[in-house]
Amino acid sequence: MSSLDLFLWVIFPYICLTVFVLGHIYRYHTDQFGWSAKSSQFLEKKKLKWGSILFHWGIIFVFFGHVAGVLVPKIIYDKIGITDHMYHFGAVWFGGAAGVICVVGGALLFMRRASVKRIRVNSTFKDWLSLVLLGIVVIVGFTNTVGYTASGGDFDYRTTIGPWFRGIMTFNPEPAYMIGAPIGFQAHILLAFALFAVWPFTRLVHVWSLPLEYLKRRYLVYRRMGPVQNVSKRIKP
Amino acid sequence: MAKKLPPFLKKLSYFGKSENMTDHATIAPDDRDAEKVYRRRWQHDKVVRTTHGVNCTGSCSWKVHVKDGIITWETQQTDYPTTGPDMPEYEPRGCPRGATFSWYTYSPVRIRYPYVRSALIELWREAFKEHKDPVNAWKSIVSNPEKAERYKAARGKGGFVRSSWDELNTLISASLIHTIQEYGPDRIFGFSPIPAMSMVSYAGGARFLNLIGAPLLSFYDWYADLPPASPQIWGEQTDVPESSDWYNSSYLIVWGSNLPQTRTPDSHFYVEARYRGAKVVAVSPDYAEFVKFADKWLPVQAGMDGAIAMAMTHVILKEFYVDQQVDYFNDYVKKYTDLPYLLLLKKNGDFYQGDKFLRASDIGRQTENSEWKTVVLDQSSNDFAVPNGSIGHRWENNQSWNLHMKDTDNQLDGIEPVLTLKGMEDEVVMAGFPFFGPDKKEILKRGVPVKKITKDGEEMYVTTVFDMLLANCGVNRGLAGDYPEDYDDLQPYTPAWQESISGVSRQDCAQIAREFAQNAIDSKGRSMIIMGSGINHWYHSDMIYRAILNLVLLTGCQGVNGGGWAHYVGQEKVRPLEGWQTVAMARDWGGPPRLQNGTSFFYFASEQWRYDNQTSDELISPLVDKPTYQHPGDYNVLSARLGWLPSYPQFNDNSIKIAEKTGKSDKDAIIKDVVQQLKEGKLKFAIENPEDPKNFPKVLFVWRANLIGSSAKGHEYFLKHLLGTHHGNLSEQNEEELTKEISWVQDVPEGKLDLMIDYDFRMCGTGLYSDIILPSATWYEKYDVSSTDMHPFIHPFNPAITPPWEAKSDWDAFKNLAKTFSEMAERYFTEPVTDLVATPLLHDSRDEISQSYGKIPDWKNGDIKPQPGVNLPRLHLVERDLTKVYDKFIALGSNVKESIGSKGIGWEAAKEYEKLKAINGTASQTKDYKDLPSLYTDRNAAETILTLSSTTNGSLAMKAWDALEKKTGLELKDLAEERAEEHMSFAEITAQPRKVISSPVFSGSETGNRRYNPFTTNVERLVPWRTLTGRQHFYMDHDLMIEFGEELPNFKAPLHKLAFYRGDHEPAAKGNEITLSYLTPHYKWSYHSTYGDTLPMLTLFRGGPHVWLNNEDAASVGIEDNDWIEMYNRNGVVVARAVVSHRMPKGIVFMYHVQERYINVPGSPITKQRGGTFNSPTRIHIKPTQMIGGYAQLSYGFNYYGPTGNQRDEKVVIRKMNRDEVEWLED
Repeated sequence: MSSLDLFLWVIFPYICLTVFVLGHIYRYHTDQFGWSAKSSQFLEKKKLKWGSILFHWGIIFVFFGHVAGVLVPKIIYDKIGITDHMYHFGAVWFGGAAGVICVVGGALLFMRRASVKRIRVNSTFKDWLSLVLLGIVVIVGFTNTVGYTASGGDFDYRTTIGPWFRGIMTFNPEPAYMIGAPIGFQAHILLAFALFAVWPFTRLVHVWSLPLEYLKRRYLVYRRMGPVQNVSKRIKP
Repeated sequence: MAKKLPPFLKKLSYFGKSENMTDHATIAPDDRDAEKVYRRRWQHDKVVRTTHGVNCTGSCSWKVHVKDGIITWETQQTDYPTTGPDMPEYEPRGCPRGATFSWYTYSPVRIRYPYVRSALIELWREAFKEHKDPVNAWKSIVSNPEKAERYKAARGKGGFVRSSWDELNTLISASLIHTIQEYGPDRIFGFSPIPAMSMVSYAGGARFLNLIGAPLLSFYDWYADLPPASPQIWGEQTDVPESSDWYNSSYLIVWGSNLPQTRTPDSHFYVEARYRGAKVVAVSPDYAEFVKFADKWLPVQAGMDGAIAMAMTHVILKEFYVDQQVDYFNDYVKKYTDLPYLLLLKKNGDFYQGDKFLRASDIGRQTENSEWKTVVLDQSSNDFAVPNGSIGHRWENNQSWNLHMKDTDNQLDGIEPVLTLKGMEDEVVMAGFPFFGPDKKEILKRGVPVKKITKDGEEMYVTTVFDMLLANCGVNRGLAGDYPEDYDDLQPYTPAWQESISGVSRQDCAQIAREFAQNAIDSKGRSMIIMGSGINHWYHSDMIYRAILNLVLLTGCQGVNGGGWAHYVGQEKVRPLEGWQTVAMARDWGGPPRLQNGTSFFYFASEQWRYDNQTSDELISPLVDKPTYQHPGDYNVLSARLGWLPSYPQFNDNSIKIAEKTGKSDKDAIIKDVVQQLKEGKLKFAIENPEDPKNFPKVLFVWRANLIGSSAKGHEYFLKHLLGTHHGNLSEQNEEELTKEISWVQDVPEGKLDLMIDYDFRMCGTGLYSDIILPSATWYEKYDVSSTDMHPFIHPFNPAITPPWEAKSDWDAFKNLAKTFSEMAERYFTEPVTDLVATPLLHDSRDEISQSYGKIPDWKNGDIKPQPGVNLPRLHLVERDLTKVYDKFIALGSNVKESIGSKGIGWEAAKEYEKLKAINGTASQTKDYKDLPSLYTDRNAAETILTLSSTTNGSLAMKAWDALEKKTGLELKDLAEERAEEHMSFAEITAQPRKVISSPVFSGSETGNRRYNPFTTNVERLVPWRTLTGRQHFYMDHDLMIEFGEELPNFKAPLHKLAFYRGDHEPAAKGNEITLSYLTPHYKWSYHSTYGDTLPMLTLFRGGPHVWLNNEDAASVGIEDNDWIEMYNRNGVVVARAVVSHRMPKGIVFMYHVQERYINVPGSPITKQRGGTFNSPTRIHIKPTQMIGGYAQLSYGFNYYGPTGNQRDEKVVIRKMNRDEVEWLED
């Protein structure tokens, strides 16, 4: 194991994750007013409708695909009787379909940003950075699924990348898992960590503003005037 | 204060702390900090009372809000003193233009640094290095034709580079010193308009220029906003009611004045007068905004308003003076107008015509000034009487200048003047009256009743002005002659006759005249006519006005609250007049100032006279064989040499060298020598040779003004001749000599000006064409004072922020220039210079009675001798120490102690002068004037103005009334007694606007919180008008008035103009074209407080140049709404978008005022340059009758009398531009 491997599969991911976590706190601390998806619907609607819907639904399914493939250990599938064949069928067809939706949506959004003048002039460098980086991560990942796994590659990420990632997450890094992984998978992972590092500083923070609380919240919400530190005292009987 | 939790932790602290109230409501634990963003948006650190400067007559007080040192927005002030019970209030005032002014402070058009064109500064730096001496350096540039052309031709082509105040003040001072040495200070000019709305800023430049002897140019007449009818009738520049007095009216005719659009903050009184029951009649060719408010709209053919007014006069005379006798009217006109005064008739072939007023001297009453005392026939004594109050009495100083029906000279009391001689006539003779039909001139011959008198052994006929007026208007009293039968007769001036000209129905015309007069009877004079630029910008506007003003004079409405005329066209009122004049004209240090009428100056300076093909033959009275001159410019030369109008540059020699060259030392001997030189033609008036380079204006200062972009009527002539740069002019100068008095040289001079300097806060048309542009403070960044005639309050400017970047207030800018100039002068003017200053015969001075009988005492040819102050300008020798200009600028001279005043009366101000030392401190920065009051800051200047004026300082108001009491023998001081103790300080008017104190400087009373209406003091207190008879004039007996057929109010149509004349460079027709009359009224979204380049205003309408035309006119040449069009005539070319609307009548096109060429203006296919400004298709036409001087009310006053720079009687050709012809010239 070379020091490059150590850097790529231990140090670099932790740097990125640190930036990711602290960056969000920093951003939340200093720029609540700018914490936004920076919607451009006001400037253009028709293209956004297709691009945005396809991309977002695609990426949500892709996200759950990654949970299923990376976070859930293979042993659990084995336990509940999901065979490799069954898993691969699902990963290729459902994962592939989500990937197609995501890639098509992303492409539409990219075209829109590049071709509609009023969007273009209102785009910042960071908008382009997050869009392009996200696009590359998605395309590389999609290529892995379609170009490698579906076409018969025998590399099983569930026994390599999965344990490595879980190791990172549990502060028990085992870089050896990653040595020898196909270059496409390695690229996908490294780019994804890079994306995590820029994430807090871009419009991607809007992911955390998904208003899940609406699902259970009462629909009339009052807020008290006055200093926040008294709130807890007042509402406690 | 509790420690603040970081937001992220705070967010985490909310978990699980929601308190559910019901099934559908909850109290969230979150704080409300997010609201701060919105709350902070409208928070501010301070609010400053200030207003908008220069020429918006609104003079609204504003709150300017400042946050973190940044001007953020403005809102209206609401604390105007009350108008009293039963009256609507002034509060609030303001309009959308004013509310967007703060945009300018940080806008891209803001001038932030001193700029100079690189073509000039490179020459300057090079020359300075070579010569080491700034004046020689300047001389080396301007005397080298190649170098001079290099920077002059670069004008208007960009190329500005940043410089410094020091460098540019040195350059400017060098040019001034060089000009004074070589040509004289009268070759240096300053232009800044409308002081009332920022009088200190005006005074800054004016004080500096007056101290060096440079002339200021007038603006009110140049803008064609001055109604010459006002000085003609009343001897008053303009005096109008404040807007709240509209509410006191019960019958309002609004005539060509778009109140809601152009008097926005005042127009609520117009609406409220209606709520109170006033009837409103609107007269306008287009369906303008003010027409919506009217009960009746008279859609007049553009420019034909005089016809309606003449027919209304006819109706009122017929129904209220002939068919019935109305005591109120008869008493009024006998007492307050010249109608009962007697006129001599003169024989003209087989008929007679009106001539001069009969004078006391004509009937053998030899008293003082008897040639200046006019005569009536007294009913009670059945003899002639010479009522008090005529101009002869005015300058006699025996307290007989009043309107008592007395004849002090002949010990007659209780005079009852005879209004008409009918019934007591000796004879009825046939009199001829000039009639100017729209197509041809005619003589109307109508019988008038006369009496015979013997004058110098010769039998003469006299009649009254009233009898002449009746005959002129064609009111049939059974006398012989061409009298119309009835209202349906097509003879002038019946309602049927006017219908054929104006297009307004005869019934409407007669009905409204009748109602107007009946209302005046019922309400004792509360019928009012609000009039505006729609009728005032024509060549013959004075005749239109005189015809209209007949209506308010004949019905006894003038001088009555709620009645009379109300003229609102660029008018202003410097309420603290005497204090302001003292500071601005540097009267505290002596004088006299050189004050030049703008129109004459620009007419010659821009060489428009060469292209003027208006011959007098077309304009003179049909009763006259031939005019004195054919060319209008010749009349101006006559006017200059007779002392009627000022004329600077003065003579063809340097005014600081003339005295020295005579070799004499005694003042009288020097002046005698100069007069002799003039008589012999050795010394000439510069105006006779405008093409001679030594007579060119050399340096022009412009501040608070947009001279080139906005007020250059004949814009392209300015560019070509005055500035010497690219232009879009298509005309050709006259082929042969038309002029007799002006020397004609075929080679037309171009680029006359050596240096043009602009002080502004925004880069507008003037800055773009100037050589130097210096950054000014905006109106939110300086101390100043504002007043208007729209309301009676005086209120301040205060700086909301200090001037940002390198901007300076006008006061400081000129003060610093004075410093550099004085320091440099020490090297070039070691001794004081003796400046020969020629001034015209001034109104309100004894000189107004110097040319008796209104004859033309020309000394050029013939036996009449030239006499300064009689038939030649007054000549003064003024010592100027040019090294002391700065010291004098910042110290108030002590002349004020002995004398201050206005309008022909003067008083002392010693106590007030001493008080100023305490208020302002003394001028410690000077060498010799350390104990004089300081004028170091703009705020010092403001305090000085407030302290030295009778409207703002009660002690002076008392002295002023006292002086007038002594002059008139009337009791008047009670008008100011209630406020004798008041002295408004700057801090006081900053706390709240203050209503001014009644003063004899103005003609109406404000005593007892009364609403201002002009001439109420004349009517109620019997103070005479400052006219020939001392009354309001219908008749003008000057020779020139008779020459042009304007002795009585008359109808005159717009000039007959073509778009192109033979010899002009008319472009070949491409497709359909239409020729229309070109009018430039005021725009809704740009003027005065903000301009056409304001982004918030630009977004409101089309965002660029546009012209309005009628839908049928447009369709006839294939123009659709928003198409690009090219509009042109011999004067220039405009490219704009068409606004096609049925609210426009056929035959006219509007291009709203001040649309410049620097925002969204594409190129013109004709000129291959960018399209022109709204003034590109215009040029001015000057009117000889407005150049009369030295004769009672027809005497010169700065912005009081003089030819107007009217530009309205023009035709333009319009054609559609296809999309592919629209070229933006951006490569």
